[in-house]
Amino acid sequence: MIRFFNVSKFYDNLTALRNVTFSIDKGEMAFIAGPSGAGKSTLLRLVYLAEKPDAGSLTVDGIELENMKESEIPYLRRKIGVVFQDFRLLNRTVFDNVALALRIRGISEREIKPLVYETLKMVNLRHKADSFPSALSGGEQQRAVIARAIVAEPTVLLADEPTGNLDPDTAAGIIRLFKEINARGTTIVIATHNRELFRNTGKRVFTLDSGNLVSQGVG
Amino acid sequence: MFTSYPFKVALTGIWREKWINFLCILTIATGLFLITLAVLFVHNIELATRKLPEKFSITVFLEEGLSSKQIQGIIRTIKSNSAVKKVKYISKEDALKELKTSLADAEYLLEGLDENPLPATIELGLRRSSVTGAAVENLLEELKSINGVSEVQYGRKLLSAIQTIKTNSEAIGFILISALSAGIVFVCYSTVKILFYRKKDEIETLKLLGATKGFIRAPFLIEGGVIGLIGGVISVAGMLSLYYPLYQRLTVSIPLLKAVSIPLGILPYPPIAGLVIGVVGALIAIGRIKF
Repeated sequence: MIRFFNVSKFYDNLTALRNVTFSIDKGEMAFIAGPSGAGKSTLLRLVYLAEKPDAGSLTVDGIELENMKESEIPYLRRKIGVVFQDFRLLNRTVFDNVALALRIRGISEREIKPLVYETLKMVNLRHKADSFPSALSGGEQQRAVIARAIVAEPTVLLADEPTGNLDPDTAAGIIRLFKEINARGTTIVIATHNRELFRNTGKRVFTLDSGNLVSQGVG
Repeated sequence: MFTSYPFKVALTGIWREKWINFLCILTIATGLFLITLAVLFVHNIELATRKLPEKFSITVFLEEGLSSKQIQGIIRTIKSNSAVKKVKYISKEDALKELKTSLADAEYLLEGLDENPLPATIELGLRRSSVTGAAVENLLEELKSINGVSEVQYGRKLLSAIQTIKTNSEAIGFILISALSAGIVFVCYSTVKILFYRKKDEIETLKLLGATKGFIRAPFLIEGGVIGLIGGVISVAGMLSLYYPLYQRLTVSIPLLKAVSIPLGILPYPPIAGLVIGVVGALIAIGRIKF
């Protein structure tokens, strides 16, 4: 589903990623681990085309990203749901934030309502549909972002430090939610610095350090 | 259509940023109001100068002692000129009669005249299209060259006044309309640019979620268009509220103002112009969206 081949990314004199090669299969749930500044977020940003690699090739769902036309980028991004580290929730109600992912895809308002409520129920946020993000706790905001990322049933779900500021119980709840989503066939890639998150999960873990892929193993 | 997502976002955006949008609407309304005034000014000058040529005439003085056959020949020659609309022959006798009528009570002034001192004349009316400097000069040359014509007189001052008023008013109108239109586009551009910068993060998020350029642009274009449209409607409302109470009161004390024409047919144009200018300003402000 996702294939990196000798991918490098530089920022001025800084190496964010160096010759990274790995692949993640369709329907897999995998972790990208490593300390802060290891290149985890950059790796995810390359997948959803917020950045372009300086060297190497990158394929998502069989599409070679290197030769992609600018006009095709939105359509690739629609195959990918992203749980941003900084949430990126808009100053609208939770309902409207989640519905946005569907409106962008041109889905009619009639269909949007049941889909959004169903997804909010799944992340246990149905009762907060009319709340604004500023009125939500960190865990609730995280779940609202997850709802927005999964509501359109993307092929791939990318999560950047999805449990960053959460207490252990809420974090465990979110990982359970990811497992449920993965069980429905969605490929999931989670970037985290928290080793507890993938311990004993039986999922593959790719560890980055200073932009290098230093190990591959099973959590 | 108005309940569709881009409209909702645009109208919510207008309401959220109501003060900046309110000021923008007022500026556009003022600009369009002044443009409409400029258009009316040019229109009225055009109307006035269109009527003036009808009052413009040329008087051809004939030599003494011409036979009626010669006079008929001269009239035929003049009539054959395409610039001439109408020809009126005034004989010596008619001229004297006219003078006597106009002197009325002071007819005694003419007593003691042994012979009629007035020359026979031909008065020419010109076609509207021919009342231009070059055409009149050509005609004068032709008239002077006709045998039996002693002198030609015409309203030189009137002719040059028509030309000057027409040329200057059109130039002033054009400059005013261009400057004000550019000003309105700039106001819309600035407003949308500010809103666009304020929503920079939101736009970035929309891009990352897979929104197309059209999806991102649509609310901004609608916002620009709606602001321009409202500005246009307010300018028309201002025009009407001035027209009825003020203009009609003024015409009582200044009757000359009755000649001013305000065609109601132009009323739909300021809102349409506002809409177009608003959308164009927004389009320029958004610029090229890069993914």
